[in-house]
Parts: sequence; C-alpha cells; structure tokens
Amino acid sequence: MDIRKIKKLIELLEESGVAELEICEGEESVRISRYGSAAHPMAPVASAPPPVAAVPEPAPSADAATPPEPPAGDVVLSPMVGTFYRAPSPGAKPFVEVGQRVEEGTVLCIIEAMKLLNQIEADKAGVISGILVENGQPVEYGQTLFTIE
Amino acid sequence: MNALPFPGPRQVEAGLRLLGLLADGRFHSGEALGAALGMGRGGVWRVVRDIEALGFEVHGVTGKGYRLAEPLELLSEERIRAAMAPHDGPALGGLDVLPTVDSTNRWLIGRAPADAAAPAAVVSEHQSGGRGRRGRVWVSPFGQNLYLSVLWYFEDMAHALPACSLAVAVAVARAVAALGVGDVGLKWPNDVHWRGRKLAGMLLELVGEAAGPCKVVIGVGVNVNMMAADIDQPWTSLRMATGQPWDRNRVAARLLQEILAGVARFERQGMAACQADWDALDVARGRRVAVHLADGTVEGTALGTDGDGALRLRTDQGIRRFHAGEVSLRVAR
Repeated sequence: MDIRKIKKLIELLEESGVAELEICEGEESVRISRYGSAAHPMAPVASAPPPVAAVPEPAPSADAATPPEPPAGDVVLSPMVGTFYRAPSPGAKPFVEVGQRVEEGTVLCIIEAMKLLNQIEADKAGVISGILVENGQPVEYGQTLFTIE
Repeated sequence: MNALPFPGPRQVEAGLRLLGLLADGRFHSGEALGAALGMGRGGVWRVVRDIEALGFEVHGVTGKGYRLAEPLELLSEERIRAAMAPHDGPALGGLDVLPTVDSTNRWLIGRAPADAAAPAAVVSEHQSGGRGRRGRVWVSPFGQNLYLSVLWYFEDMAHALPACSLAVAVAVARAVAALGVGDVGLKWPNDVHWRGRKLAGMLLELVGEAAGPCKVVIGVGVNVNMMAADIDQPWTSLRMATGQPWDRNRVAARLLQEILAGVARFERQGMAACQADWDALDVARGRRVAVHLADGTVEGTALGTDGDGALRLRTDQGIRRFHAGEVSLRVAR
C-alpha cells in the first residue's frame, strides 16, 4: 500500500473520534490504532518484543516510530502516549544512564501527558543496556523506552 | 510573598497557636497571650515577628496589645467536613490538615496504602516545595490559599488516565463557579482561568503501574486570598477577582465535593463525563494558539479536545493532536 495513502488514513483517524481503523486491499491490509497494537493490550512493561504504534502491518522500514531491531534482554515499554523525560526537572541529573545497575522499583523516567506525570519504574533488577528515546521526545503507547539486561 | 522563610518546627507550633489566638482580629494583651503560650512578653514579641515573616500584618499598640490586621480563619478538618454538601461521588476517607509540608502531593504519595481504599485528602496552610510541572514552583504562602491533594485508586484505566487531568480541571472550575465567581474558563490541559489570568493549577501524579490498579494523586492549588506575589505569568485569586476575602474551609469543601463527584463520573464514563462542560469552558477553542514543546513551537487554530483529552490543532500541515505541551493564546491582529 502506498505510504501516502497510509498517511492520509492516519490523518483521517486523527480527525475523527475513531480509535482504530482496519483496511484490506487485496492481499495487503493495514490497521491503524491510537493506542498501539491490540495484540498487546496488557502489559506495558514486559519482556515481549515491542508492539508498534500506528504502523501498517507490512511495516515500512522508514517509519520513525519503529525501533530498529527487537532489542535483546527485557524491554520497558511506555504505558501511555506522552512526553518522555529522563530527569525529574530540566537541568537535573537523569534518573538512569546506560550501564547503570537498577533494582526493581528504581525510577527510570517520567512520561507526562496533560500534566499527569507517570514515574516509570524498573519491574526487575538488571543493567540498563539501552535508552531508546531522547529526552523531551513524544512516545507512543507500547513504544520501547529502555532495555535492561 | 515568594519563597518566604519558614521558621523551624518549634516556632511553627508557637506561631500557629498565636495565629489561633489572634484569629478573631481583636486586640489581645501581651500578658494574656504570654499566659496562653506559656512564655514571657519578650517571647510573645518574637513569635509575633515570626508570623509577620509569614506574611501576616500584625498591629501592636501600647496598652492594647496585638491584633491581626484582618481576621483569619485557619483550615480545620471539622469545618471543611461540616461545609461539604451531599454529592454523588464516594465518601471522603481521611482528611489531614497540616500547618506546613514540602508538597501535599508528595506527602500523600508517601502515605498511600498499597491497597485500594476510600479517597483520602490533605490540605496544608503552607508548602515549602510547592511544585508545578517540570520543576516549576507553585507559590504557596502560609494561610492565604488552598494546597490540596486527593488520592484516588483506579481500577484498570491504563492509557485513558491523562484525561483525568481535564476532568479534575472541570471539577475545580465547577466548584469556583458554584461559589458565585463568574467568567471562569479552562486552558488545556488544566489551568483554571479568570478573565485570562491563572486562578488555579493542577498536577496529577500516577504511582505504580498504569496497567492494572494504580494510585493517582491529584494535586490542586487555588489562589484564594493572595493579593501580592512574585509570579511570572498573569494570575489572580478569588479575592482579587471578587473584591472580598474567602473562607478557605468553605472553598476546600466545595472543591472536595466537586472533585469526588467529577472523578467518580470520569472513572465510569471517561472524558465523555465532562466533555460538554469542558467544551463550554475552553478558552482556546476556535482561537489561534501556540503549543510549546520541548523541541519547538507549533501554531494553529485550537479545535478543542478529543475523546482521550488530547488537544486538536488545525495547522498548515493538517490536523495535529497533542498530549503534552504548554499552550499560549495568540492575540488576534
């Protein structure tokens, strides 16, 4: 399916109040959801490969929301749409750095949406092996934020 | 008024007791005050200086004693509960009244039981570390305003929770309107405005996981009787807006009532529970606005919010939705 057509569909979804849209054309199909893939409705923090938000099923490799490779180790996924912050306030020290050891319950980042601040904690002990989002960037539901080994 | 030095705990205790004695606004002799506080006249004088440092004007007249320039009603659990009218939300659990605290949100997060319980609330006369979003300060002088937090346990609301921020803003606006203050509006996501000036602000903090049961601490700051402060944006207070001082216990009661009812409705119906109210109060709808993000500014025409509380904006690149960012209204040319 033409990428421009997919873009149009995403715009259509945004202008409407519709949560999810699925279109089949011959052998190709695309499903666009506001809240990420319905195949992973449960755990925002899990060791499963990351679900991908608002991306057609035959995923084009150029889409920015697609993480490059399913990362090794456990992944920490965003539980909601919002803005990713690595530190409690601007100019403060980041909660964690790559290579740092974390315990279960260690605060990793804050996701903010509409002045609701969500402190994301590690759900298990390990070493931070990857931070996949830059400070201040928007994140989608289910997007991979960290990898922990 | 900004960042007033707050005395240590012993002075706070004596200062609060003295404020309680002087609250009626009448003259009290130094001897009588000293007897009540268990100190000499010199001690009373020092405590008077402490409460002056908190921003209170005290008149000292030879032969008459001391009085507050105007009467003061301190916050009281009993008075707040007594002023609450029946509402269709859950009953309020604990209600703590503190003389001072770093932040009411932080205090309540620290005391939240792990398991679901009735909504609990805390109000404080003063905050030493009142916070807005992203490291901003919420100016919190003693005895003048309301700093209130409510703890709410949600069953599985997951990604729908941010819209609760808007539902709380609607509840606060309804409370202010119910007190008889007109011209109240809302600026996305949850600033309460009066004629373009900020009257109240909110900060919600989610504790625990967003999937499955979670706790949300709803922090609300309302400028009530504050008349002067060093704040870097247009602001107002109930007193400035109406020209009269307000009984903070009555304001707190109304706020709690509306928040308990409004959040309960949000829990049942989501944003649909308050969408009509929100639309009616939205000061930006149909106007040119700028959304300030971490990496730049987007301009467009505000189209209101969608079902998950996101701001919709018509821009040159089509319609965009925002889940975060600061909105400023553009003055029409």
